[in-house]
Amino acid sequence: MDDDEAVTRALAGDLDAYEVLVTRYSAVAHRTASLLGAADEAEDVVQEAFVKAFRHLKGFRRGSSFRPWLLRIVANETHDLTRSRGRRSDLAVRLGREREPYGPGDPEDPEGAAVDADGRSRLLEAVRALPGGEREAVVCRYFLQLSEAETAEVLGVRLGTVKSRTFRALRRLREEVGREHFG
Amino acid sequence: MSTSDDNDPIAPEDLEARLRALGEGLAVPPVPPPADVARAVRARIEDSGADDRARRRWAAWRPSPRVAAAAVAVLMAVLLGATPQGRAAVVSVLRFAGVEIHVGGAGPLPTGAPSPLPGERRVTLEEARRTARFAVAVPSALGEPSDVRLADGGRVVTLLWPGVRLDEFDGTLGVVWHKELGEPFPEQVGVVGGWWIPRSHGVSYVPAGGGAPREERVAGPTLIWQHKLVGLRLEGPDRAEALRIASSVR
Repeated sequence: MDDDEAVTRALAGDLDAYEVLVTRYSAVAHRTASLLGAADEAEDVVQEAFVKAFRHLKGFRRGSSFRPWLLRIVANETHDLTRSRGRRSDLAVRLGREREPYGPGDPEDPEGAAVDADGRSRLLEAVRALPGGEREAVVCRYFLQLSEAETAEVLGVRLGTVKSRTFRALRRLREEVGREHFG
Repeated sequence: MSTSDDNDPIAPEDLEARLRALGEGLAVPPVPPPADVARAVRARIEDSGADDRARRRWAAWRPSPRVAAAAVAVLMAVLLGATPQGRAAVVSVLRFAGVEIHVGGAGPLPTGAPSPLPGERRVTLEEARRTARFAVAVPSALGEPSDVRLADGGRVVTLLWPGVRLDEFDGTLGVVWHKELGEPFPEQVGVVGGWWIPRSHGVSYVPAGGGAPREERVAGPTLIWQHKLVGLRLEGPDRAEALRIASSVR
């Protein structure tokens, strides 16, 4: 069942069809909520977002992509949560594995892995330090690997805004990471 | 990593690749299994919208006058009532075109191979047409059936094509089939004036002479509708295909 059929059936009240959509997009929804700052409340945010999406399914423009439409609701829920908690929508993540299989250097080389991990943690800190709008653009474009158009839809901004925020963020990151290399 | 490398500015595409790799390696809080999320979301939708949905279900179906007339004749009784026992209990009963559907139980338990209907025998389409107590309809979308069965003294005719089973029966006089299914409630299908059961469910045959329903078997998603005085249940195709087939019955 593709998204369009699932939406059609869900609109007719078919909850089985909606379960298909929830199952399909549950992981990316959780990831989006976490990366946009929902922290340990990501589960609540995601469930609430799916319930709201079901109620507002009539507002979904048929023929467009379901994923960014859903993720925008997830992003809005996350914003509401962080606002209500009076806290900064931070990157609620930490570095995962010690080293990346696709990272530079020989994966069997512990020294190379340590250097790589160090570089990654500096880069993550630099992303954390970005102004909110730029950080969200980076999260969507690179951490969630959304297209520019999807990012614009998810964040509810114009395409040009996504481009300029991404551009400024990359410039800032390049400066930050470059400066630390000297230090 | 050499010092000269460190001093080189990072190429834009290199930085983007590093950001993507960083994202892939980030540990987010543990994600619950998608099926659990789907169940939780469904429960929240059902809890909050039970009344809305019941209203919508009836409001959304706007039959044509012809269908409405047929529906009045065949919609013998629709009893909707919540029971205090909650989810595990049968919450609603739908009787339509000779099919009685109990919705809200746990759904069927597999019971093995289906047993034949009482007095079931293989016949030709012509013989079925002569013997059946009703006018046997053949959907033009499927053409000649590959197998025809007649059962219970002409009360039920079963037409079979590869992967498709169409039971036809006298849908006006009493309950012929008994179905047990879990939520959701079947979906009303206005095009053919019938009901679509999207999930696997238990079905048992209620013999003409009355008595206990015969052994239950598990049926796949099924479309139930009525054509003139004939009740039909179509099992095998998906919803779209089932509607296409049903619409081709003349």
